[in-house]
Amino acid sequence: MNRPAEDALRAAVHDLAEEARPAGGLALAALARGRRRRARRRVAAAGAAVVAVAVVLVPLVLLRPDRPVQPARPTPSPTPSTMLLPTPGADWSTRPLALPGGWVVTGGVTRGTGYVLDRTRSRYVRAGGYAEVWPAPTGTVTAVRDEQRPGQLGLADAATGKLRWQRVPGVIHHLQWSPDGRRLAVTVLRGQMKRLGVLEVGGRYREYLVDPVRYLCTDYCAFTWTRDGREVTLPLTDSFVPRSESSRHPRWGVQFFSADDGRPTRFVKIPGDPAGPWSWSPDGNRVVVQGQREPLLVDAVTGTVLGPLPVAEVAWVGDDRLLYRRPGGYRDVVLADPAGHELQRLPLPRELAERTVSIAPK
Amino acid sequence: MTEGTDGEFTAFVNERGDALLRVAYALAGSQHAAEDLLQNALAKAYTRWPRIRGDAEPYVRRILYHDQVSGWRRLARRREVPVAVLPERPGERDSGHDSELRMLLRDALRTLPPRQRAVLTLRYLEDLSVEQTAAILGCRAGTVASQASRALARLRELVPSFDPASSPEVKR
Repeated sequence: MNRPAEDALRAAVHDLAEEARPAGGLALAALARGRRRRARRRVAAAGAAVVAVAVVLVPLVLLRPDRPVQPARPTPSPTPSTMLLPTPGADWSTRPLALPGGWVVTGGVTRGTGYVLDRTRSRYVRAGGYAEVWPAPTGTVTAVRDEQRPGQLGLADAATGKLRWQRVPGVIHHLQWSPDGRRLAVTVLRGQMKRLGVLEVGGRYREYLVDPVRYLCTDYCAFTWTRDGREVTLPLTDSFVPRSESSRHPRWGVQFFSADDGRPTRFVKIPGDPAGPWSWSPDGNRVVVQGQREPLLVDAVTGTVLGPLPVAEVAWVGDDRLLYRRPGGYRDVVLADPAGHELQRLPLPRELAERTVSIAPK
Repeated sequence: MTEGTDGEFTAFVNERGDALLRVAYALAGSQHAAEDLLQNALAKAYTRWPRIRGDAEPYVRRILYHDQVSGWRRLARRREVPVAVLPERPGERDSGHDSELRMLLRDALRTLPPRQRAVLTLRYLEDLSVEQTAAILGCRAGTVASQASRALARLRELVPSFDPASSPEVKR
């Protein structure tokens, strides 16, 4: 950072701090709060023996694996040679960009600028001027957010050419399209509470409050869709394991909620965060998640870790094929098997290489 | 605790409370949240006073930063920071450019996530090095650098006139 900018930032931080008004009675208030804390600690100490037993037993009960925790890695198969596909030509934006596995690129956007697939014309159109743009996996609607319209989401329909703004009160923390492109799961933070918002492309918006104690989630908390689009998931924090700000918070499982009424439906001890609907295999048996330390392939029924993977943001394009952007060679999209063996590799056009790319079935 | 302890604690708060409140305000972004954050940190200090009395201020500062960046309560609070009024794009540079830039940056700082704001507060309010910042936040220096980089990128996004020519880097 250059010196004038650093000076300006330093001055701004000081300006912000100087806005503090002297607080009268700070010592008295702190004393009162401190005494209450001390009193609570005494009460807690009185029950220490009981608590100690609970602390020892509960984690064991909650964390006990169904089987010994020996990651059942897939048996390595002979590595097939990777087929390098030709880089799309300069006219790539004139038709849907086909990916290995029969999928297409639906958009490539960074901070509201980039390209979005217009399915009414089967070509890409430029996006720009919005704070964020979310191309839908199918259909003709694109979601947008405008810094000048806080608390609102725009739904731009390429079929009608109209942009309609929907009120979504609160701070939009995360947003994701359902796989059928009909609904948006919105992670909303308002009044210190996390809420699941479901916005339909027709304009109906419903919101559900999620109990922050029962469904504790800290660090990277967002509602994401399941592959069938009936449920959304929320990763839950393992509150019995120490947390650090220098690493991702440990997970003890994934809680599912009905997207129709926000009702909690089921819990699976999946030790990580699924990125979205395509993280789940089509047969529903496996899921790729971001574990605390590395991306993991996980049995979606039992939660058993099957092995590590190169990246967490993958799309299952078949029950034994994954599509993802190649780590270390970020420009390439790779078709691989669940063991991580690369089968095909497609370089992205230069205009998409540095953007967040969305993909969907053709 | 004895009356003597209470007296020492009260004297400490009376002497250092305003300075600590400024740090809390830079972290929390509003008067109410800053007072709540600081009172909580002071209350924790009070319960451990006999052990920290000679080293109370660093202890309280560490609590402030830890409380601000950890846990669900803080995550929720950070997202409560209103962004209804976003910094407007400044016009052409003029004699008021610097003060306008500072004002825009000050408003933009409030919208940063708590970890990023904590890093910038430690680096630019407390003038600590990356390593010292990492030590207080209990994380790696690389994490501090990445949080600072993200914060600067976000500030540039919100305030286009901020450092338009340079790429972000973190000075040690």
